[in-house]
This record gives sequence, C-alpha cells and structure tokens, in this order.
Amino acid sequence: MSRTMAVARMQLINKWTYIGWPLTILAASFLMSLAIFALIPVQEGKYGGGSQAPMWYFLVLGIQSMTLVFPFSQGLSISRKAFYLGTLGLFSLIALGMTGLYLLGGVIEGATNGWGVYGYFFKIPWVTDGPWYSTAAFFFMVMMFMFIIGFWFATIFKRWGTTGTLISTLGTGLVLIGLAALSTLFQWWGVVGTWFAQQTPLSISGWAALLCVVLAAGSYATLRKATP
Amino acid sequence: MNETIVEARNLIKHYKDLNALDNVNLTLSANRIYGLLGRNGAGKTTLMSILTAQAFATSGEALVFGASAYENDAVLSRICFIRESQKYPDDFQPQHAFRSAALFYKNWDQDFADRLAEDFQLPVKRRIKKLSRGQLSAVGVIIGLASRAELTFFDEPYLGLDAVARQLFYDRLVEDYAEHPRTIILSSHLIDEVANLLEHVVVIDRGRIIMDADAEEIRGSAVTVSGSAEKVDGFLAGRRILHRETLGSLASVTVDEALGSRERAEAAELGLELAPVSLQQLVVRKTMVRPDGAGSGSIAGEFADDTLEARR
Repeated sequence: MSRTMAVARMQLINKWTYIGWPLTILAASFLMSLAIFALIPVQEGKYGGGSQAPMWYFLVLGIQSMTLVFPFSQGLSISRKAFYLGTLGLFSLIALGMTGLYLLGGVIEGATNGWGVYGYFFKIPWVTDGPWYSTAAFFFMVMMFMFIIGFWFATIFKRWGTTGTLISTLGTGLVLIGLAALSTLFQWWGVVGTWFAQQTPLSISGWAALLCVVLAAGSYATLRKATP
Repeated sequence: MNETIVEARNLIKHYKDLNALDNVNLTLSANRIYGLLGRNGAGKTTLMSILTAQAFATSGEALVFGASAYENDAVLSRICFIRESQKYPDDFQPQHAFRSAALFYKNWDQDFADRLAEDFQLPVKRRIKKLSRGQLSAVGVIIGLASRAELTFFDEPYLGLDAVARQLFYDRLVEDYAEHPRTIILSSHLIDEVANLLEHVVVIDRGRIIMDADAEEIRGSAVTVSGSAEKVDGFLAGRRILHRETLGSLASVTVDEALGSRERAEAAELGLELAPVSLQQLVVRKTMVRPDGAGSGSIAGEFADDTLEARR
C-alpha cells in the first residue's frame, strides 16, 4: 500500500505534470475564450468549447504515464500493480480536483452573467443543464475516460508494438463502421436516435464509467505482462 | 560460504529468430562484485531484465532472495536496476529522479547523491531529455549507487562518460562498497577497465554462460607463449589452444591452461617468452572460439574492431 502511495507521490514531485500544466492550459483557454466573448457584441449567451482543452492534455498524460513513467517505475523496482494503482489513483484525484474547479467556475459564471460579457465557458448546453451532481459526474467521467483511453492505447503499444496498436485502432474503427452499416441495413437508426435522445448527462457518465472500467481492467491485464 | 541471493535455473529466453538466453544456470552470492561480461547482444541486459522481473523468460526459473521478483514487493524493494536505455518521465529533472528513488529505497543516501552529482558535474535542474548521453548515464549511476540496494545492477553504466568520470564511478563504487557491502553486478564490455574491481566474472556469449569463475582463479589461468613456431608448437602439444598467431617463423599462442613452475623453467630453457593474458584478452579469445571449434574470420575481424573501440 505504501508503495502505491509512493507511486502517486513520485508523480507529484514535479508539480507541473499533473497540476501546473492542466491549470495553465485551462487558464489560457479560459482567458482566450473570454477575450473572444468580449469581442462579440451580442447581449445574449455565447458558448465556447474551450473548456475541453485540458481533456486533450489528459489523453497525452495517459499515454506518457505508460510510455515513460512505467519504464522509470520499473527501474526503481516498483511492481506493476503498485504502479497501476498509484497512477490511476493519482489521476482520479486530479480529475476530482478539476471537476471541482469546473463546478466552481460554472457557479461564478452563472452569478456574474457570464463574466459580465455573456460568455459561458464552463456552462455547456445539455451537459450542465441537470443537477450539479450530474454535471460533476459527466466532467469527471470524461476526464477519466481521456486518461484511460490514452493509457490503454499505450499499454497496447508497449506490449504489442506498432502492429498491435494499428490492429487495435483499425479493429475499433472497423467494429464501429460495421455497427453503423448494420444500423443502416436493418434501419436501426431511429431506435439509436431515440436511445441517444433519452440519455441524460448522468446516464452518459454511467456508460462512460462502464467503458472506463472495461478499459482499465484491460490495461491492467496487458500491463501485467508489459516490459519497459 | 556466502548466502545465495540470485539463482537462475535453466533460463531460456526465445525471441522470434534467436535464443537470447540459452539455458542459463547461475548462482550469485551476497556481498560481492560481479562482472557480467560479453559482447553487445550477448544477452547481458536480457538476463538482468529477467532476474529483476522487468522481462519474462520463455522458460526456466529466476530466484532472487529466494523468490521470484515478479510483483513481489518484498524482493523488488531490495533491487535496483537502472538500464542503459532507462527512460524517465517527460518533465523530470535529475533532482526529481533522485527524489523518486528516495521514496522507494529505504537506504537512499541523499547526501551521497548530491556529492556524486557534483563529482559528475551533473546539472540536476535540467530536464533529463535535454541531457547528453554521458549525463544521462550519470543519472543512472547516481541512482544505482545512492540507492544502496542489496542487489544493484549497473548496465553498461559508463556510456558517454569521459575517462575522468568513469574513474570517478569506479572509485566511488569501491569506496561505497567497502562501507556498505552489497551485491553488485556490473555489466560491461570495457573489460580491462573494470577487471580490477571484479571479484567474480561471468561471461555470457550468444545467450550461454561460457565462463563463471572467481577473478583470482582467472588471473593466470591462461598464458601466451611466443617464440619460434616450431618450439612453441612442440612445447604446447596436447594443450587447449585458444588462439594462435604467426609472423614468419615466429608464433604466439594462447593456451587456456596455467603453467606450473617446472613448465615455466622448461619454457625459459627453450627460449620461449611467457606473457600473462589480460581478462579482456581471455574473454575475447574465449568468445571467439566457435561452438564448432573453428574461429570464423569475419566474426574475429568484427570483434577486433570492437576491442579496439573499447580501448579508445
């Protein structure tokens, strides 16, 4: 257990990686969005997609923790299990903190009428429409999902190299295309559309959580036999 | 007899087209300095990776401190193996790497690490990915030394280090080892440079252990006899010849045997010259003996280049 904690602490030794950069990216994206909102002379709600910027960084973090931090952890004789639990645990905490920040941002945004310029950075139509916990669950799961998908692809890469990554990427693509083709063939689109229309941010978070669990379990199984 | 801390039994590592390890059996005891010698690609890193559970054997058993290291914190916490091509987290500086090591090694000595960093003139606040090859090696060397792990592997630790830094490493290693005995495995192909440090030598070639003996035993275990070809051949008839060189009517022959005082006197009478064989020469000669008994010209040529390079 203490070695798992140490894995998390190790990755916080350089505060930039998990704290500094996400906040910097968020701040930069926020300020740019605000500047643009201020330039648009409209008195009604303006929405931007800038708040997704840190999410892409989380994807990179997920990849790097497998391609760089994992080999380093092996050099320090850290078990694969301790590395996995420590890294995923740390990321959950970061995602939790970021979610808190997004919620707080949303509250301030609401109270100040969109920062005084009717610009909405944290408030996203549909996503933030529900109760606070549904918004929180959504943000948290999206962040976790980005990290885990990066981590998962990187484990595939570490274990099976470029070929494995290509096959799994192409495979995923083929399955999706296949599903789309089947939907067209059997005219399922109506049903699919209805299903999506019925989803709430909370239920989408639930599905994302399920996917995360599957990918996380898959990553662990692969990591157990990965070499640095 | 010292306690056994590493035991490899019938280790085989098979890659698609080669046997990286071909039935390796090895026993290492506590508190000694071992040299793991061999050519590039001989299987040194593979063997160390498998012992430390960073890689997996195709078959066979690797026991460290009496158990497999795989996912075994009790064993792992006593091992340090920074590989030659060690990777570090993207944003890490050497100081971060050292603080990380401090989290995992209970005997970590930060003062020692600081002193070493100064000795090696390592910029501890520069990003690791911006370091030169030598500085990168220094980071690994410092982690290996300052972690004071009971079983420490150094994987070609001198790559890119200049002569002064290499000497520093050897000196610090010996000093610290004297104060804090532990088991050290030094993988190297710069054999002459490390020969004096080693207490025991393991030579691996094409995945097989071809020599596993105390350094003392090896010194003087082979000898080069030179003189007129006729006399040399007569003198050495029936002995295990490792290598033979001729120049006109002169021959220089290395035999894999020690000579007794009577034989030495006989050689002197015949006007033959006897010269000791350095560990490096011995390893080179032994690795060049092909399994079928004949030395292959092209391989020999390649190796000669390698040796030259190693000496530079």
